[in-house]
Amino acid sequence: MTATTSDSAVTVAAGAPAPAGRRAGTEWSEVILKIYIGVFFLYLFAPLLVMSLAAFNAYEYPSVTQWRGWTLKWFGELAEDDRILQGIVNSVIVAVGVIGISLPLGLSGAFILTRLQSRFNNVLYATLVSPLLMPGIILGISTLIFWGRVNVSGGLLLTILAQASFIASYSMLLFMARLQRQDRVLEEAALDLGASSFFMFRRITLPFLMPTILTAAVIAFLQSIENYNTTVFAIGGDWTLVTEIGSRFRFGLSPVINVIGVLFVIVTVAAATLYTIQKERERKRKAALK
Amino acid sequence: MNELIRSYGKGLTAVFVTLTAFWLLILIILPQAFMLEHSLWIIDRDDQLGMKIDRAYSDLGLMEYDLNSKEGDEKTALQEEVDSLKATIAELEAQETDPPTVYGLQNYTKMSSLHFTIFVKSIVYALMVTVLALIVCYPIAFTIAKLATPQRAALLLLGLIIPYAINELLRVYAWLMILDYQGVVNSFLAWLGLVSFENKSWVPFLEYSGSVFVALIYAYVLFMIFPIYNTVDTLDKNQLEASRDLGASTFRTHWRVVIPHAKPGIAVGCIMTFMLSVGSYSVPQIMTRGKSGDWFSQLIYRQFFESQNWNVGAAYSFSLVLVCLGFILIMMKVFKVGIRDIAK
Repeated sequence: MTATTSDSAVTVAAGAPAPAGRRAGTEWSEVILKIYIGVFFLYLFAPLLVMSLAAFNAYEYPSVTQWRGWTLKWFGELAEDDRILQGIVNSVIVAVGVIGISLPLGLSGAFILTRLQSRFNNVLYATLVSPLLMPGIILGISTLIFWGRVNVSGGLLLTILAQASFIASYSMLLFMARLQRQDRVLEEAALDLGASSFFMFRRITLPFLMPTILTAAVIAFLQSIENYNTTVFAIGGDWTLVTEIGSRFRFGLSPVINVIGVLFVIVTVAAATLYTIQKERERKRKAALK
Repeated sequence: MNELIRSYGKGLTAVFVTLTAFWLLILIILPQAFMLEHSLWIIDRDDQLGMKIDRAYSDLGLMEYDLNSKEGDEKTALQEEVDSLKATIAELEAQETDPPTVYGLQNYTKMSSLHFTIFVKSIVYALMVTVLALIVCYPIAFTIAKLATPQRAALLLLGLIIPYAINELLRVYAWLMILDYQGVVNSFLAWLGLVSFENKSWVPFLEYSGSVFVALIYAYVLFMIFPIYNTVDTLDKNQLEASRDLGASTFRTHWRVVIPHAKPGIAVGCIMTFMLSVGSYSVPQIMTRGKSGDWFSQLIYRQFFESQNWNVGAAYSFSLVLVCLGFILIMMKVFKVGIRDIAK
């Protein structure tokens, strides 16, 4: 069924200029494409709705079908759940550590790759982005084994190191994109006018990179908070919010998890909407300038 | 190096090089190297060792008892035997506290047929997820990038970003409630009168591998959309019109114009979706909850935290790395793209 739907979708996709005889056919495929996209978004959002709804069900096993009436008691239980609250604190500690490590690493890598013409560039590049192309569990496992050799066992520190290995790659790609757009005349001028290279870096290069540094920090924070597959191997006896949620699936599944889900949904919808509105405004302003 | 030093001075350049070297060695290369090394040896524990030592001690006791009743040459001979037995015991005990390590490929070659089946199953399912995600996502990515008005496109993108940004554990969890014994689907079937909760004739979806498949697609489908959208978005609309004006059919336009342009995006989408699916620990953990068979990532987890066999765990992990590496190389070959096109 998928095949037929997508075929029709492709048909409209090119938006053939309906030659007179095919007019009706084109309209048909437009309708089908719209239905297809509608179904896809329903598929994306219906499960989130189910999960959110169960947070308000009085039944103690998460469910929307065994309905026992509306309640807010699970929100109260969340507020008193010490392990979850500690998990949030741990998640933030890890995220801050990851930002502190991965941004300087990503920035250094980006400088070396954009400013250094070497025949090893491609190999260096491939190695530095390789953590992005590897399953998360592998990063956790290899960190665990390596540090195990020097008798450092799993915990928040190893989680920070394991996460930083791939989050630094994200930052590096962001910094590289920014550095490639840099007009280097300003840097040259500063040096010619006698600025020390450190002064030039602080007054010209860093301010130019500042927006990217902020973006990279936000992305690193989100990536770190959300991470599960790497963290679960490196966390040892400690826990973060997400690994705590993960362990509740085996023991102690309750609608408290759904409450966390609802909060996640609210925060995400708010943040994404603000981001989109901001981008729309920018687009309109640019369009108006043209 | 000279250009770096000229612009940023020796001090800053040294900082850049040191940090990059730290990242490269301590966070990437050495951990991988140690994982590989760990997979290449086993601790050769002799199960009989404890028994052998016990037997030697009882022999020793007997001999020492005999020793008192012997005289002259006989006594010296027996004394020598006692001494050599003591040496043997010391050797055995050393082996017990610090068993010898033996290098080889045992951890790879001795994968049981059950584990190998699970390994293959995980790969096949990840491939199916990838293909299905590509078929589902291509029309959507194309529509948002080229057919929708800017406002509509922004709205549709927002609709994609929201589920993309919500934690994968929580998104997969939703499917647990949908497919549970008394979940949404079974309730619907009960409403149709096809199953009954009273005599527990519900469909046990969570006991089938298919439920993991459904959740894998749901969790990772969006990783296919964004890369394809990003590349199609840069395609000049004039090219589409030119193709049409020259009489190409819709299919031909896509095959000859859009897809060649979107190749890097398709390759990245496939690599990400495959890699995430084959290495996912969260999805099978949530969906199976011990009720149905393990997935490969769960086998690896058990080697580390339940059977404490890190050597086998490392070998399984490295096998997974090889699978992903192979997949990336195949994608690069098929789509004729370089590493720089992939990671952008």
